[in-house]
Amino acid sequence: MKKYFSIFLILISFNSCEDVIDLNLNTSNPRLVIDASINWIKGTTGNEQQIKLTLTAPYFDETVPPANGAQIIITDSDGNTFSFLEENNSGIYKSINFIPEINKSYTLQIIYNNETYTATETLKSVAPIDYVEQNNNGGFSGEETELKAYYTDPENEENYYFFEFKSDIVVIPSLEVYKDEFTNGNQIFGFYTEEDLKSGDQVTIRNYGVSKRFYEFMFVLLQQNSEDGGGPFETQPATVRGNCINQTNSDHYPLGYFRLSEVDELIYTVQ
Amino acid sequence: MKIIKKAVTYLLFLCFTFINAQEKYTLSGIISNINSNETLIGVNIIFPELQTGTTTNEYGFYSITIPEGNYNIQVSYLGFNTISETISLSENKVINYQLTEATETLDEIIIIENVEKLNIKKPQMSINSLSINTIKQIPVVLGEVDVIKSLTLLPGVSNAGEGASGFNVRGGAVDQNLILLDEATIFNSSHLFGLFSVFNPDAIKDLKLYKGGIPAKYGGRVSSVLDIYQKEGNSNEFHMNGGIGLISSRLLAEGPIKKEKGSFLFGGRSSYAHLFLPLFDLDNKAYFYDLNTKLSYKINANNNIYLSGYFGRDVFSIANSFKNSYGNTVLNFRWNHLFSDKLFSNLSLIYSDYDYDLELSFVEFDWQSGIRNFNVKYDFKHYINTNFKLEYGLNSIYYKFNPGEINPTTEDSGINPFKLTDKYAFENALYIDAEHKLSNKLAISYGFRLSSFLRLGQDELNVYENNNPVLFNKELQIYEKANPIETESFKRSDIIKSFANLEPRISIAYQVNDNSSIKTSYNRMSQYLHLISNTSSPTPLDVWTPSGKYVKPQLLDQFALGYFKTFNNNTFSMEIESFYKTIKNRIDYIDGADLIANNTIEQVILNGEARAYGFELLLKKTEGNFNGWIAYTFSKSEQRTPGRTSTETGINNSKWYKTPYDKTHDVSVTASYKLNNKWSLNSNFLFQTGQPATFPNGQFEYNGITIPIYESRNSSRLPSYNRLDFSANYIPKPNSTKRWKSEWVFGIYNIYNRKNAASITFRENRNSGSNEALRLSIYGIIPSVTYNFKF
Repeated sequence: MKKYFSIFLILISFNSCEDVIDLNLNTSNPRLVIDASINWIKGTTGNEQQIKLTLTAPYFDETVPPANGAQIIITDSDGNTFSFLEENNSGIYKSINFIPEINKSYTLQIIYNNETYTATETLKSVAPIDYVEQNNNGGFSGEETELKAYYTDPENEENYYFFEFKSDIVVIPSLEVYKDEFTNGNQIFGFYTEEDLKSGDQVTIRNYGVSKRFYEFMFVLLQQNSEDGGGPFETQPATVRGNCINQTNSDHYPLGYFRLSEVDELIYTVQ
Repeated sequence: MKIIKKAVTYLLFLCFTFINAQEKYTLSGIISNINSNETLIGVNIIFPELQTGTTTNEYGFYSITIPEGNYNIQVSYLGFNTISETISLSENKVINYQLTEATETLDEIIIIENVEKLNIKKPQMSINSLSINTIKQIPVVLGEVDVIKSLTLLPGVSNAGEGASGFNVRGGAVDQNLILLDEATIFNSSHLFGLFSVFNPDAIKDLKLYKGGIPAKYGGRVSSVLDIYQKEGNSNEFHMNGGIGLISSRLLAEGPIKKEKGSFLFGGRSSYAHLFLPLFDLDNKAYFYDLNTKLSYKINANNNIYLSGYFGRDVFSIANSFKNSYGNTVLNFRWNHLFSDKLFSNLSLIYSDYDYDLELSFVEFDWQSGIRNFNVKYDFKHYINTNFKLEYGLNSIYYKFNPGEINPTTEDSGINPFKLTDKYAFENALYIDAEHKLSNKLAISYGFRLSSFLRLGQDELNVYENNNPVLFNKELQIYEKANPIETESFKRSDIIKSFANLEPRISIAYQVNDNSSIKTSYNRMSQYLHLISNTSSPTPLDVWTPSGKYVKPQLLDQFALGYFKTFNNNTFSMEIESFYKTIKNRIDYIDGADLIANNTIEQVILNGEARAYGFELLLKKTEGNFNGWIAYTFSKSEQRTPGRTSTETGINNSKWYKTPYDKTHDVSVTASYKLNNKWSLNSNFLFQTGQPATFPNGQFEYNGITIPIYESRNSSRLPSYNRLDFSANYIPKPNSTKRWKSEWVFGIYNIYNRKNAASITFRENRNSGSNEALRLSIYGIIPSVTYNFKF
């Protein structure tokens, strides 16, 4: 919400300006980044899954280096184990025999550089996307295209949602997290707005079922990433710790998250 | 107990030792402006032969008791001609003086004081005062005369950058300032999120900012007190004045209800920039307005009543998706009563509220929050004798907090109505303060304030295991919200939690010689209300929360030491002060705390501490055609929140970190030159160390987006801030005897168009995917013109 104020500042002060500047920044030591996202798209078997390991990099670097040569195993609460194998030094590790099950608990173990990292999380179900509503007169300019992806929140449980909107015209996805504290049991929507969307563009909309911990993790993460942040109304930057733990050396804590979700995917063509 | 007994005996002893054989009589009265009958605050009444004197209080009243005899009396006030005459005192006398404004005499030889003079004798230190005339001369952005921005040109006062709301005093937070308008608390001092302040300069009579050595009369905030009094209105004849500026226009009407007895004042100010937005095809609105109203009535020589009100509002909307409106409302009834010519009293009954309303139509809900309070103050000023004055009184405030309410705005909205639990509290205080002249060289003021805070019953209060609403996750090394084990319900008359604090205050002034003195002070203060905000500068939607079971009151201890000197027959003055202060229980927020619409705020708060110290220098030239000041502040302001046990990391790894308003060096030069009767030129220059900021020291990729990794809190700084402004005031017909008088003010803000960074933020470019640093600068060079008139 605070981003509105920053936008306001720019609006009201007609000669304020924003410009990109060069800045020298410090660089911290590299850490392991775990992007372990198990996505069980509705209507698929969910057997094929992948985990991406990277390292942190200086802020202005164009790419982040992959973390190679790790051993990755996921174990479910019944004792089934699934190995993930690296593809050609890409830092991407794949499994083809993963068995997803709603509300089952899974444990991730990664051995990298002789240090062991672990995380435990539950696979969460998700409500399907009912329909998408398009409004061509949205956003602050009144000219942006807005999409609302409606879903119906189940009434008798606490739910958390993670929405991803990927359009073919913008490089980075738009991510949102929602909780049902104020919307329990209602039909409500994931919200997306983009200035340059044209009729015929495709937007891939995914709704992921996530845990409360992931909701909180992502909430902070998105604050750090927010491009609308800044100005006097910016919140204090924070360390974003996920659910992965370095069992060998706690100072070398990893970043990232081990998430398991049921996913509803819808490909929307802009009208 | 023994100590208190001793103190009381001593106090009584002091009261009576000065009553000696010689007959003494009391001279008292009201001092006002001859044209408008407006009472004047802080007028000096001096008896040169006796080397003694007094000043008028906030209601223009003075009282002094001196031995029988014939004396020369001098009545002097900034911007007015001094009255000098001989009086003969052989009985108690009431003399009301009326002063003439200095600018209205044509005598060219007269010395005009343009800047507030330093009083080296009074024990009171750490005060910033500016006359409204001085404030009106300072060059300002867009020509909007701004009380608070002007104060930041004095030492010890700063703000968190252009466009940041509120102000910071001696390294304190914005919510630690007590802002009083006609004795009523103002909760939000900014219009348009901080671009302008809420005070209409035309309606203001006097203001004073206490940075330290705060008298016992004031309490409830730990950093400073900004005490502002509105004009009463002209009780002689009807007048109007106003101004037309680029952003806003002002109009103020005043006049008698009953000649010399009663007066009214009605002032309004409104911005109109939004009217032009449709020209640019922008369907947005952003405007504010203020209304200042006052009725005064003099019942008889011993009784005056005042009814005053302030209403301010901001409205800001973007397209049809977002509407935001907020403001303060203050209503205030006061009764001045003289019990005798030595005992002045004022009773105030005050209602004040702040409310915030947000309508987000694209998500179909409406959000409202606010704070409301009823305030009773009864203050006495007892002029016991020339060397001893007492101020005492009591204060009770009842608060109702509405932390927020959500309502759907359409029938098919997906939002359920939701109400955050209302909170109630009762704050009480009694105080006594003595101003005591021990000898011609030594003066002390001392006293205490006894404050108490009762958190009253509310509908639902969470109970946590071990009374601990914030848990520490040892594995992940992060703080997490605890789940309540049950909720308790209370009656409104129940007391959930109570606090009491004794707040001693003392200031000592030692006069080294005729033109220099040393002063020192100590004060303890407590603050029971907290503004819940984790942004660099508060936003209008931040809510206030009372102390209670999980949030402790903030406690301040401040020491200050100063050296004060006047030169060249009082033409120049120098003030040097240093201060050190510590604040206990400054709240801080766990990483990732979500403060908006949070009904369980206790789950994201930890109690920390803050400290600040600094050195301030103020050099002034107070007389002549060329005058102004140089202010320099060196200071440091930090806070930290250590872990509660040795296994916890605390916030920012328990390390001290700079507050967002920490500025190591802060220099400002303000100069004004009166060229002739028509033209006067003003200029100011500012240089400040850049604000603390947190920059990334790395990045990582997750789920297709790039996230910056930040260094520890506020360990870098924005580039330094500097700026030069200039303004010229032009009076077309200074000697005109016509009723209509006018003035033009031409200004240029930020002459060399420096792009001062208000912030540097980091983002992943949505189109290229690369990371970049983005500088936001709010004001470049801005010319302005304002037309002021009165008739």
